[in-house]
Amino acid sequence: MPEQRPTLRQWIGLTVTGLVLIGMLILPGYQSPYDLLTYTRFLVLALMAQGWNLIGGFTGYAAFGNVGFFGVGAYTTGLLMLSKWHVPFFPALFSGAVLAGLIAVLIGLPVLRLKGHYFAIATLGVAEAFRQIADTWDSVTQGSTGIDLPVRTDGEFFYYSALAFVVLGILVTIALKRSKIGYAWVAIRGDQEAAKMLGINTTAMKVLAFAFSAVFAAIAGGLTAYQNIHVTPGDFFQLEYTLQMIIATIIGGTGTILGPVLGAGVYQLLSTYVWTRFLELHPTVLGFIIIVFIIFLPRGLMPVLTGSIDVLRGRRRFRWQALLANVRAHRVT
Amino acid sequence: MNPVEFGQIAVNAVLLSGILALVALGFSLVWGIMNIVNLSHGAFVVLGAYLTFYLHELVGLDPFITIPIGMVVLFLVGFVVQRVLINQVIRAPLLATFLLTFGLEILIVNLVNYFFKADLRSVTTRYTGAGLSLGPLRIPYIRLAALFISFALVAVTAVFLRATRPGRAIRATGMDIDAARLTGVKVAQIYALTFAIGTSLAGAAGSLLSMIVPFDPNLGGTYTQRAFVICVLGGLGDVGNVILGAILYAFVDVFVGARLPEMSQAFTFGVLVLLLILRPQGIAGKKFYA
Repeated sequence: MPEQRPTLRQWIGLTVTGLVLIGMLILPGYQSPYDLLTYTRFLVLALMAQGWNLIGGFTGYAAFGNVGFFGVGAYTTGLLMLSKWHVPFFPALFSGAVLAGLIAVLIGLPVLRLKGHYFAIATLGVAEAFRQIADTWDSVTQGSTGIDLPVRTDGEFFYYSALAFVVLGILVTIALKRSKIGYAWVAIRGDQEAAKMLGINTTAMKVLAFAFSAVFAAIAGGLTAYQNIHVTPGDFFQLEYTLQMIIATIIGGTGTILGPVLGAGVYQLLSTYVWTRFLELHPTVLGFIIIVFIIFLPRGLMPVLTGSIDVLRGRRRFRWQALLANVRAHRVT
Repeated sequence: MNPVEFGQIAVNAVLLSGILALVALGFSLVWGIMNIVNLSHGAFVVLGAYLTFYLHELVGLDPFITIPIGMVVLFLVGFVVQRVLINQVIRAPLLATFLLTFGLEILIVNLVNYFFKADLRSVTTRYTGAGLSLGPLRIPYIRLAALFISFALVAVTAVFLRATRPGRAIRATGMDIDAARLTGVKVAQIYALTFAIGTSLAGAAGSLLSMIVPFDPNLGGTYTQRAFVICVLGGLGDVGNVILGAILYAFVDVFVGARLPEMSQAFTFGVLVLLLILRPQGIAGKKFYA
């Protein structure tokens, strides 16, 4: 096999990723505990967005219920740690992830037969049903009172755990994207019938994407549960988490490897800024960001970044009309 | 469940079905003609409710007189929203319009929350408590009036779609956009008109709801969900399906709500997912308003 030399674009990508990673590794030494919490939030969001990207980005299924798996991860982790076996954190976390994956397979088999809007709303409903189950199943989940996990106040532990999972998530995404599975997902997004004709087992592939996304969400849920200590159905099944992961993925770029992480960073930055300046208008600004991105940059920031590298190298000229390309292509007159 | 209780629950279901049909009709029209699941539909219901509340509190208008005012205002809002925002991305993949209307919903609900506060409001008039008694059954006048107004508006919309030029243009666009364009239909305008009809019906439903239930800015979300379930139950296609879906939904909702209030949503969605899998086109659904 001839040796493949990385292109300049890949070099830039690798260098930037490496620098960011080193920066993230030494960061806790320079931050207040509160800022560290914000960075941990960003990493947890990145993790959720990476998961959503697999089903929503690569496979093109608009899943609106991933918070359900976030909650399942949180509750399983918490309940196992509190159980009479006193399961340590990481085994509990992995059990939660496995359970969420299994539930995703069971739910995915019927629900992934639905298309488009129907799939979106059905997943929305599934997540809502999860919340009600957690709310009513008093004997296990203690209902709306919620459960309290063992206390651990070590902020760096959560930060480094989340960072490790995000890096792992990037590696998993790269591996999946380059495997047959990744190509199958993209084929399904393009044309499901055609993919089936090519001999792709579309049902299995869709369920796999859904299960993977559930595993990511469950790990994020378990981490958040351990850090927040108090877990209630109202907090851990709120639609806002689903929204955040979708918005982060869209800001960054759906179906890209680093997009969800980049998007999570931008979202967290914007969100923190807006929180501190205009607390009460926070959702308004969020809604506004969604609208602006959907209209002008539905493919997110990643294509803009790679595009600007080309512009800098003189391969392409900068044309501001590019910003209106989406509107030009999709408007109705 | 004794017969009287059963009777009262059934009466409540019938009274509820009118407003549900009104909410769902606008939603179904936008979905059927433009293939947009308008997640901001409930936000327009909320706007209608607040318009009635403030016109009643500050100007002293009778809440029933505020309905046409609210409908006109929301018609204009809806027209502008479709023309300026949604028309720009309407041919993009489905997730685009889905998220765009979701962003809109968050924006509107939060702005309402910011300006009008999250307090629970209700519109009370001289005749609020009054009602009709049929033996042991009670029928509040306002709910009865809401039922009649709702079905009157549904009927007017049905006639409009069938018998007027703009109405036919809307249906033609829904059937075949290119053919409609060839016959001189201005699709962008027709889309805006369709959305405006949807929001103005939502506004009317909001005005009626403000007299019946206490509300806050979060009222809308549940109505968007309900409209969706009704459209799935009845199927898209025509006004009759919406009415059928609304009545079915009202009965399920009221009876499950009376028996198992905590699980009502889980139950509704369970039925919904089952129905979607067994019969994706709805009970009587066709594709468009043909």
